Amino acid sequence: MRKRIIAAMLAGIMVMSVTACGKSADAGGAAGKKPVELTVTTTFAGEDTNAQNYKDAVKAWEAKSGNVVVDTSASSDETFKTRVTTDFETGSEPDVLFFFNGADANSFIEAGKVLSIDEIREEYPDYVSNMNDDLIPGSLVDGKKYAVPVNGYWEAMFINTEILEAAGVEKPGADYTMEMFKEDCEKIKAAGYTPIAAALGNIPHYWWEFAIFNHQSPATHLEIPASVDDENGQAWVAGMNDIKELYELGYFPENTLSATDDETFAMFTEGKAAFLIDGSWKVGGIVGSCQSDPEDASTLDADKLAKFDVTYVPGNGDRKATDLVGGLSSGYYITRKAWDDPEKRAAAVDFVQYMTSDSVVPAFAEHAASALKDAPEVDPSKFNDLQVKAIEMMAGATSLTGAAQDLFQGDCRVSTFDGMPEIVTGKVDAADAVAEGLAVYHNQ
Amino acid sequence: MGANIYRNKKPVLVFLAPALLFMAVYLYYPFLKNILNSFMDIKQLGRPGTSFNSPWYANYAEMFRDPNVWIAIKNTLLMMVVTLIGQVGIAMVLALMVDNIGRGKQFFKTVFFFPIVISATALGLLFNLIFLYDKGMINQILEAFGKSQLTDWKAEGIALFTMMLPVMWQYVGFYFVILVTGLNNISDELYEAAKIDGASTWQKVRYISIPLLHNVICTCSVLAVTGALKVFDLPWTMFPKGMPLKTTFLTGTYMYYHTMETKNVDYGSALAVLIVVLGIILSKVVNSIFREKDY
Repeated sequence: MRKRIIAAMLAGIMVMSVTACGKSADAGGAAGKKPVELTVTTTFAGEDTNAQNYKDAVKAWEAKSGNVVVDTSASSDETFKTRVTTDFETGSEPDVLFFFNGADANSFIEAGKVLSIDEIREEYPDYVSNMNDDLIPGSLVDGKKYAVPVNGYWEAMFINTEILEAAGVEKPGADYTMEMFKEDCEKIKAAGYTPIAAALGNIPHYWWEFAIFNHQSPATHLEIPASVDDENGQAWVAGMNDIKELYELGYFPENTLSATDDETFAMFTEGKAAFLIDGSWKVGGIVGSCQSDPEDASTLDADKLAKFDVTYVPGNGDRKATDLVGGLSSGYYITRKAWDDPEKRAAAVDFVQYMTSDSVVPAFAEHAASALKDAPEVDPSKFNDLQVKAIEMMAGATSLTGAAQDLFQGDCRVSTFDGMPEIVTGKVDAADAVAEGLAVYHNQ
Repeated sequence: MGANIYRNKKPVLVFLAPALLFMAVYLYYPFLKNILNSFMDIKQLGRPGTSFNSPWYANYAEMFRDPNVWIAIKNTLLMMVVTLIGQVGIAMVLALMVDNIGRGKQFFKTVFFFPIVISATALGLLFNLIFLYDKGMINQILEAFGKSQLTDWKAEGIALFTMMLPVMWQYVGFYFVILVTGLNNISDELYEAAKIDGASTWQKVRYISIPLLHNVICTCSVLAVTGALKVFDLPWTMFPKGMPLKTTFLTGTYMYYHTMETKNVDYGSALAVLIVVLGIILSKVVNSIFREKDY
């Protein structure tokens, strides 16, 4: 009998819960239009410079539209890319995503799972009409434009001026060459510091890119070699051998093969290593290292930040130091899944319109480029010291070329990215490693 | 009537069916699918294979040529030895010592068991800080003792030691608790009789505790060896991608590396099959070596 009473009470509670749920939904509907729940995935998370900007913008859009964003953003790395690709393959893709527009996006573009900007404009003619279409990169699959960019990126060389002063080295300028760089590294090493902060066993990406670029020109850098024996193939081999030479000269950290990128970055910010080649997103990381509370900009130690600067990666041959790697490599996609859902279509379009509007993009772009038709004048007074230096550095750039590694994705990278330790230690010949990677690339 | 309900097996099948269905959907089907995938060409996670490799056994042939496979197998076998000696061996010594103390047994049980409740990934991050090159705990201690040069605990020659030490440490408590429970099950009368006969503490351990713990030790050994095959998260957290110079790969981490990092999914599937085959063979060997006795 007692059990029956308990069962009846539980059943009653369940019925009331269901009724309550129904009522709350009705209440939402009665108050106005039913809120739309959009799932959004971006790379604005973790230590990304724009993580907070993104949170603020999403909050503002939610308040303005009355809709809800289910955010599944994560730091940009190989795991994130795999997650996004797998989500598309298994039909659990988000409604909107901010993702790369290079080879990483090929699989879901080939499968027709995202809409091109032109297709969206057939129904929404004013869709991202504030963007300069000529600056939006096309897909590698069909040349159509799918991703609406927000902020561009650049890759350059950050320097710790305190170490340079201690070693009697001048700040590198626009005419900086590899020979000058090696001379400076020798002086820095003699002064007891590590010249280059890089974890070759973990993130060799930036050195890989510029070492190859230094044997090419902006016109040829994005051509993937047909074979190791052609001119571009030999440029790749020469680039790998340049890194090997720097390793043998002892310019990388002693633990460069076993360290993580975080460890070598800490060496740079803590005044133990002089040079760091990285991207525009690292400005936030360096500024954060100069704050007692990385989340609170008011705790910035301006004197400490003043010791950091950013300049050009040493050039060689046809690549001037001022020829940078950069561009608009990511953007907002609307998935076909959201488009085909009558409740979500308008909300997804409105979300992307808002996130790429003239009022939101400048906050994200800061010292990097954007594709806005009417990009507002940059007000240096709003920027910190390193951001101002970055703007000055960018003003002197003579070209901006995309990253070759954005085209060289997947298994083909293994021999020269993951295999970089073997190359620099001489266990694998650079030419063999490049040949192996190219063979995989051309068989993909 | 009362006895008849046990003759009717149909209700039992009803209760077993959900578990069987669950196993079929989430274990047996993926396992068979994985075998099929290992023969197909799949270069993206989540994407189905559309064609067979040429030749269809290409991944298995590649395994014999791939030096990293042999490194991974060698390291995994080494890990088994380390777990046997390091985990079960140390746990045995600790259990015997704790069994011989009068007070504080519960305290030691809790202290030694504690690492088990911490996630392996958290432990990996913890040991990353302990073994950190610059400002790591051990290097700071060595510096305090006057060592001027920093030691790279993750360098090629020493990386395996650095990887296996935390794995060993993590599971000592697990086997310790099992062995202490085994010791508790030995009748006190045997020890009392031995004491009356004048047996020393060592003799009691040698002639009473260890022989009567034989079956428990066998169980621990089988668990340790098969568990070593599955070690993944802690080594991957400390030594991603077999760092340095691909010398720290285990079979599990190498399979994950190919599946998740290089997107060579079909080769990862073939490596998964290799892990299963290795597991079956080693389990058979271990079971035949550590055969339990009937008393």
